[in-house]
Amino acid sequence: MNLAEIIRTALLEIKNHKMRSFLSFFAISIGVISIMYTLTLIYSMNYRLKKAVEVAGPGRLNIELKNRWEAQTDVERKQANDTLTYEDALSIRKIFPELYMVSPYFDKWVSFSDGYFREHIGVRGITTEWRKRGWVYKMRGRFINRYDIENNQRVCVVIEDGGWLKKPKWLKFWSFKDPFQNYIKHNELLGKTIKLGSSLYKVVGILKEPPGEKNPKTFIGIGMWEPKILAPISTAQRFLGGWSQSEGGIDGINVDTGREETISKYQRLIEQVIKARHGRTMLFSIKDYREIIKDQMADKHRDMMTVMIIGIIAILAGGIGIMNVSLATIYSRIKEIGIRRAIGATRWDIMRQFMIEAMMLGFFGGIAGVIVGFAGIEYLAMKGDTDMMMLRWWMALAAICAAVLTGFLASIYPARSAARLDPIDALRYE
Amino acid sequence: MIKCQNLSKTYPLKKSEGYRALKGLDLKIEKGEFVSICGPSGCGKSTLLNILGFLDIPTGGKYLFKNTDVTSFSDNQRSVLRRQAAGFVFQSFNLLPRLSAQENVKLPMLYLGKNQKEASAKAAELLEKVGLADKRENSILELSGGERQRVGIARALANEPEMLFADEPTGNLDSVNSAEIMKMLAELNKKGGMTVIMVTHDSKLASLTDRIVKIKDGEVAV
Repeated sequence: MNLAEIIRTALLEIKNHKMRSFLSFFAISIGVISIMYTLTLIYSMNYRLKKAVEVAGPGRLNIELKNRWEAQTDVERKQANDTLTYEDALSIRKIFPELYMVSPYFDKWVSFSDGYFREHIGVRGITTEWRKRGWVYKMRGRFINRYDIENNQRVCVVIEDGGWLKKPKWLKFWSFKDPFQNYIKHNELLGKTIKLGSSLYKVVGILKEPPGEKNPKTFIGIGMWEPKILAPISTAQRFLGGWSQSEGGIDGINVDTGREETISKYQRLIEQVIKARHGRTMLFSIKDYREIIKDQMADKHRDMMTVMIIGIIAILAGGIGIMNVSLATIYSRIKEIGIRRAIGATRWDIMRQFMIEAMMLGFFGGIAGVIVGFAGIEYLAMKGDTDMMMLRWWMALAAICAAVLTGFLASIYPARSAARLDPIDALRYE
Repeated sequence: MIKCQNLSKTYPLKKSEGYRALKGLDLKIEKGEFVSICGPSGCGKSTLLNILGFLDIPTGGKYLFKNTDVTSFSDNQRSVLRRQAAGFVFQSFNLLPRLSAQENVKLPMLYLGKNQKEASAKAAELLEKVGLADKRENSILELSGGERQRVGIARALANEPEMLFADEPTGNLDSVNSAEIMKMLAELNKKGGMTVIMVTHDSKLASLTDRIVKIKDGEVAV
């Protein structure tokens, strides 16, 4: 008996027992929905991690001061007065010339003005090494160079928002518009002199971000906020009037060892250098960037596990449902099995028929789940859940496969029981 | 074609020794014979038919079909033999009620591996032969007893078997329909040269066959 014929018989059976079939579909589809949700989350987290590492560099270490408000005791408060300095960065560079990047940075909140436009804005002081990682921009003009840094030049580079190729639906609900970005969109700043704090700076370059869809930074997520104006770190420290967290020092140093394998080695070595320079009292941390990202994702991971467990339970319930249905079906079809055996069906023919029937129950449940799941996940994505934008077609396929597999596993026992019936007993059964 | 030597069948029972349905039975049936197996109920004639039709296996003795001992055949081998060499006509018809007449007739051919088109054509031809050309698409439940048994015969002939086994084929039918079915079986035997083996307890029907094998208490009565 060929497959098409078996499938036709199975469809007939499913159609003849609509309610029974529906209940099996129902549990299976809940399982499928949660599998899709979980897969999307896993995929999204991996994607973000990969992209984050890609943008930040494979051997990324972040050296940061511990937050001052975390200081509890007097001793800690005293220690907290000591800060990282630009000189720390210079000496790390000097001691370890083999490091791919040593990029100190320093953020300051200042007022930006150009003509009548005024806006409070973050400025980041950087060195030339800043551009070594995470460079996704299209540049007009030039970048900050060594001359600017060594001579405290009052120049700056502006980062322009990339916008979206096709604006995501959730952004239409979220109507916030950055006034600064809006201003530079309509006013050419390159070559112009603007005011930052109380002094004048020349805009020597414009860095245009790629559109949101193509910008890996879009999907990295939280903790990646960056100021939109860059200035030489030396100039920023000396001349920029405004408020900063680190007072005389700098906010942190981003290091890239160049290779993943050397991260822990340099983590140790750099710690020794900084402790030597600051007398073991400063509160600072050197963190493996991947760990930072993973910490940020811990909550999502927990959510994912919960949903996954619900999904597994649902799909198991669906499987038990299918098993139950299949067993019940066998009892109502003993006579039929006997007739089929008498006219030449082998045990395998009977077994195959029941298994395909159960797998089709799983398949239809899976299809229903995929339809509802797609709709739900798209809805969440529309509401602004960027994780849910990572839904891929193969996840639907995987979820359906899981449903069919459940049907298959649940059918083994009932199908074997059906195949083992003695044809004579089955024929006599009324 | 069929040769049974010292055939026995014992059904195991929980308390006693077991029920011996056949007790060392010897039987020979040639190709093209129309044989009826007669006897009172419980004498073992249905058991014999099931064994001859490869549905059951004897617990003792030998069953040679075309000189091949089929007693040791596996379940699978017997299933294949059933679909190729044996056709069954049952007292209670044993048709699948949810399928149409034509689909019922097609079923053995599909198990044999014929494709839909071939099977449909052959089923239509067979149904025409048994006089049901206009009721091909009808559900089994819409057919009368006589019509159902004719569908049963058409189904039994689907794979052009060498032997036709009929277990009380007229047991559920009135005299008019019974006569018609008997005529059909006789025709298959005379014109088609098919070996027909029929179980009945009705001596009148048995007298219409070439040879009567009387069974009594699990043995051939002489």
